[in-house]
Amino acid sequence: MANVIEHHRHIIDFTLSSLLRRKGKNGALLLVYAVIVFILASVLFFSHALRREANLALSESPEIIVQRTMAGRYQTVPIFWSDRIRTINGVISVRPRLWGYQYDSVFQANYTLTVPAEHPPEPGSIDIGSGISRMRGAYPGDIISFAGHDGLPRSFTIRNVIDHESELLTSDLILLSDKDYRDFSGIPADQATDLTLRVRNPREYSTIAEKITRMFPEARPILRTEILRTYDALFGWRSGLIIVIFSAAIFAFAVFAWDKATGLSAEERREIGILKAVGWETSDILLMKFWEGIVLSLTAFLVGTILAYAHVFYTSVALFAPVLKGWSTLYPVFRLTPFIDLGQVATLFFLTVVPYTVTTIIPSWRAATIDPDAVMR
Amino acid sequence: MKQLSLVSILVLVLVSTVFGSDLRKAGPKDKCPVCGMFVAKYPDFAAQIHFRDGSTIHFDGAKDLFKYYLNLPRFAPGRKPADVSAVFVTSYYDLAPIDGISAYFVAGSDVYGPMGRELIPFARETEAREFLKDHKGKVILRFLDVTSTLLKPLD
Repeated sequence: MANVIEHHRHIIDFTLSSLLRRKGKNGALLLVYAVIVFILASVLFFSHALRREANLALSESPEIIVQRTMAGRYQTVPIFWSDRIRTINGVISVRPRLWGYQYDSVFQANYTLTVPAEHPPEPGSIDIGSGISRMRGAYPGDIISFAGHDGLPRSFTIRNVIDHESELLTSDLILLSDKDYRDFSGIPADQATDLTLRVRNPREYSTIAEKITRMFPEARPILRTEILRTYDALFGWRSGLIIVIFSAAIFAFAVFAWDKATGLSAEERREIGILKAVGWETSDILLMKFWEGIVLSLTAFLVGTILAYAHVFYTSVALFAPVLKGWSTLYPVFRLTPFIDLGQVATLFFLTVVPYTVTTIIPSWRAATIDPDAVMR
Repeated sequence: MKQLSLVSILVLVLVSTVFGSDLRKAGPKDKCPVCGMFVAKYPDFAAQIHFRDGSTIHFDGAKDLFKYYLNLPRFAPGRKPADVSAVFVTSYYDLAPIDGISAYFVAGSDVYGPMGRELIPFARETEAREFLKDHKGKVILRFLDVTSTLLKPLD
């Protein structure tokens, strides 16, 4: 056993010094390779983190949301609808919700205002998201003011700063009481933003949605499964866009790697010939080439993945943020929750390291089996 | 949520005092004696029969429960219908266990259980009627109405 390890150690030793001898060429290969892995990993990590944030948010979202439309545009919902909808079999509960957006022209940020179902703040006090707290330098106990629907400022005492697992959805959040929100937004007392339904049996979703539209033709029921599908499509589309943009780079790398991997340069063939002449076995040469492939691709893989991790979770995807999260450019800055899916890293590994290592083996095997005399002549 | 669990505890207490038997959750190894499926995977349709000797038989749907109950000599030799102490089925709208003897069953609907066409249980008749209308059901049955002949077209 010790012998085998020793054998491998010597071969790796030789491989490393042989790689160092051609610093320029191998360095360039490593750099391009690492950049490609970095781009792919960034896109993967980012779209996955976004999808996870969305899932986190939606796991607690109601099974069905009912909105009202007029002339195809969104309207507030009359609260009396909830009593009628509650009579539908299979509906466990109906809750009118109050929420909306507010643009702050001073700080150029968009806030999401919500009246929470449980433990809403007292009238006059609010809870704010960590993003708003950072941006306005406001902490619990401070008094903060926002301009309402009529342009007049309203001041609130901050009760809490929300600290939540998913920052994307809470960073711009303001929680306030029912009374304050109606005063702030101008929504009349008999109206709500939308209705949320709890339904126990998933088989009944579509039947209930159908009954609601029959009851109120201007109602627009939205199922949670539909929202999930939309999010998935959106994130899938965005990450696809990035891949398309960089596909030229990936293609260039493929050509480069293919060239490097399949055709051995005359110099390398000569080296193999000399090694055989001094007594190396074919298997030793293959082992050397194998280690060479591993060293190159593993280094590139690790460097690329680690950089991508830092890029996605510490700099919030600074490089391709404009493409990936177009809808949130107005929002206060947010940081994604670091999360790594092992399956994803494995996919990346098998798509980059393994093919590269395998393709380098075949040409070296061809060179290694030729007579050294023929190679060196 | 708190209210809901309180209500369900109340219902359970009520049921157990009336029938002298508690609902028993199907374990991962409980199999339906009629079709052989593991019951715990399909909680939305689960049903069970309790016998006076304290044993519980789990089913993956009301249909298999009836097949068993109507053919005791084959599935449980030596047991009589009189030995049954309680029957529980899962109501469709609430996915909650209800008393099977007083339940309403809709046959011929477009809702399928783990074993295909099912008898869908409801606690109230109004629910059963509404379901029959929404899901193209054919007939509403009580526990004692169900016969082997009626089960035939469900297979």
